[in-house]
Amino acid sequence: MPTVPETYSLGVPAEISRIDQELKKLWQEGEGAMTRASLMNLAVYSEEPGSLNSNTQLMAKITENHACRAIVIEAACGAKENSVDAWISAHCHVSHVGGKQVCSEQISFLLKGGCTTLLPNIVFSHLDSDLPFYLWWQEEFREPMDPQLWAWVDRVIYDSHGWKDFRAQMRLVKSAEQEAKQRIVFCDLNWTRLDNLRFALAQFFDHPASHHHFAEIRSLRVDFAPGFRSTAVLFAGWLAAQLNWSTEKAKSSHELCFIGLSGRKIDIELRERDGAPIHEVALTTAEVEFLVTHAKCGDLLEVSRARPGEKAMPQLMPAGKNDPVSLMSEELMRGGPHDVYLRAVNCVRDLL
Amino acid sequence: MNRAADQPKPNPLREGLSTRPVSQPCAIVIFGATGDLTHRKLIPALYNLAADGELPAGVAIVGFARRNKSDDEFRRDLEEATRKFSRQPVRDEIWKTFAQSIVYHQSEFDDESGYQSLAKRLDEIDKNYGTRGNRLFYFAAAPDQFEPILKHLKAAGLNETCEGSWARIIVEKPFGTDLDSARELNRIIRNSFTEEQTYRIDHFLGKETAQNILVLRFANAIFSPLWNTHYVDHVQITAAETLGVGTRAGYYEHAGALRDMVQNHLLQLLCLIAMEPPTDLAADSIRDEKVKVVRSLRRWSRNEIAANVVRGQYTAGAIHGEPVVGYRQEQNVNPDSQTETFVALRLFIDDWRWADVPVYLRVGKRLPKSETDISIHFKKAPAVLFNKDLSDLNVLVIRIQPDEGISLRIHAKVPGTSFRIEPVKMDFHYGTSFGKPSPEAYERLLLDAMSGDATLFARSDEVEEAWAFIDPIEEAWHANDAPELFFYPAGSWGPEAADNLLARDGRAWRRL
Repeated sequence: MPTVPETYSLGVPAEISRIDQELKKLWQEGEGAMTRASLMNLAVYSEEPGSLNSNTQLMAKITENHACRAIVIEAACGAKENSVDAWISAHCHVSHVGGKQVCSEQISFLLKGGCTTLLPNIVFSHLDSDLPFYLWWQEEFREPMDPQLWAWVDRVIYDSHGWKDFRAQMRLVKSAEQEAKQRIVFCDLNWTRLDNLRFALAQFFDHPASHHHFAEIRSLRVDFAPGFRSTAVLFAGWLAAQLNWSTEKAKSSHELCFIGLSGRKIDIELRERDGAPIHEVALTTAEVEFLVTHAKCGDLLEVSRARPGEKAMPQLMPAGKNDPVSLMSEELMRGGPHDVYLRAVNCVRDLL
Repeated sequence: MNRAADQPKPNPLREGLSTRPVSQPCAIVIFGATGDLTHRKLIPALYNLAADGELPAGVAIVGFARRNKSDDEFRRDLEEATRKFSRQPVRDEIWKTFAQSIVYHQSEFDDESGYQSLAKRLDEIDKNYGTRGNRLFYFAAAPDQFEPILKHLKAAGLNETCEGSWARIIVEKPFGTDLDSARELNRIIRNSFTEEQTYRIDHFLGKETAQNILVLRFANAIFSPLWNTHYVDHVQITAAETLGVGTRAGYYEHAGALRDMVQNHLLQLLCLIAMEPPTDLAADSIRDEKVKVVRSLRRWSRNEIAANVVRGQYTAGAIHGEPVVGYRQEQNVNPDSQTETFVALRLFIDDWRWADVPVYLRVGKRLPKSETDISIHFKKAPAVLFNKDLSDLNVLVIRIQPDEGISLRIHAKVPGTSFRIEPVKMDFHYGTSFGKPSPEAYERLLLDAMSGDATLFARSDEVEEAWAFIDPIEEAWHANDAPELFFYPAGSWGPEAADNLLARDGRAWRRL
């Protein structure tokens, strides 16, 4: 590496007007020793003080699996003076093929003052052309949603887990969708958190002979960690959306109720327990319990079905991790539209 | 790829979770379970699928072999091999659960009672493991054992299934040694299993870049108008390896490079490059187009074979600076062996798209580097501008292994006041752009077989057509007036005659 050897540093300060030239110089100096790779523009926006450094660390990890132009933005919207500082750097790692030094470039911005007006301008002028634009929004959305910005975003990534008012936030997200003329894809890391669990439960029903269980489901129990009720509700929403359940009035915030297609009542119990965000899911029919639970080793799910007279053959599957790097990697790997997510949200919007 | 006709109704809970056909629960019976293939490839592949959560619930693995072993002994052997050959480190807790699904069934391949007891055992496995009556029989045994195995499977009723379940076989190459034996093998298979139940595995097709050929060709409109005789000057396909014959002399002495590599791997790659767009991505739609390519390969007279095919054998030389012995000095090789370790061919596909476009194939052992790639060499631009004959053609290279990727050579002006033009390379590397390593070919292919997707498996007519093309060459080589076997030192790019094959046309092999 030439002038920016530290992986986690913000790198070299750069004048805004000279960022492109500085990047070019960076690659010229490293030519032969490193290979630039980029499949997307990945911008992360935060108003948390110190987020520039913490997000740089996250980007260093994320770029190991997802080559991109990283744009890290920290905004201090309340600052009195208006200023923009910028840095350039590169995150390098040794490729799993051929031992090459593969690098993704990062541009970091510290915005002070009129953030809302500066943001689109900053982002637009530093995108790697012809590559998709993913925006990881670490703040709550707030009005006004800048139409200029959202019209350019291909995928907006957020984590609804921390939202105080889910309905209000979703309304804003929807308005961004309208601004984007439906092009934008919503990626909720709170939904990504459920990927492995959904996968583990879904595989019980791959064989058509097991589809009859859908009509016989009586109850669902979801054990969630403190603070992850919304994740548990999304899980219930997913089942409701995919199996065409309709919502009944909730008995309490931890006791929900749906009506299945056959008219059968389905009780949903949400239990708060210490552990992984969702550490156990039990789906029960008249005769079978489908159980997905976190194995003792932590990063594996133990999957089993219990039925009278049948030997339970537990299976281990990846559980996924709850840290931002793992969630982002999972999300970036998946791609495609998120229609199922939107349907799940629609089913439980009022319960969140 | 599309779902096969016998695919079940989709699971609504799968929506948005996976873009590939869903694999189904099954019992995988491996014939030749104590052999190399099982230890090096199959079990590590199944373990990796389990570790990645890709293996469906309700999978049991039954090792069928002659040696006496208990289930535990068999599992211990497999664990040792998997720790050695798996692409990801083996985790104790995953192996423990995975190993519970492995059992050993001792029997001679020609012992009828062994299959009857296998049938009973599979019924028990259905009850205990939830394999739902689905059976996947993997033939990892020697080809001469296929017939007794197939016969006894049929006699034990294991080729049939009850409603809603399936039985499939996976057959490893070689699919015969010539057209007659391939037909005979297909006949034997058909006696017990239908074509739809038969999956002939060619691991080259399980490689990421081989699959990407279809995407490159049919998802990028820019290439479509250029992909024909009007714009393509010629095509080269090279499969080079630094390795010698190693421990495979027993097989290789009878097979040689033509049967071992060209009849299957290289012709399959050629088909993907040359085929017409299929009507859809269903297995048979793709295979219909592939078989047309092989059928269109120009057939040669004896004299034409001598002019268009070069065979070679390596002599002593050096690989990466280390001295190595010649083929005839290798263990278990006849000191007067006439077996080819190198083949170069100049082919023509006599169809509308490829008329008069030569395709040069070469494959060899003990070449300077291990690399498999395909290059499409486009025609020259008219030399009316720039005062220069642009002798370096535009070349699109698809690297199959080891550094999977795609590159395109174009011409660019060298900076300066003069109009100097030089070739430059635009290069895409899978390993650089995508951090996640690709799964092993066997992982992909095993999942496909479990989900009933035969797209990446060879159909009987493809195999037979390939032999129909290869047989006359083999016959010419074994005739009294056989064309010369050329020798090349290990570590070189093959005999000079292979270079002449292209030089005659005013071309040269691409520098690898």
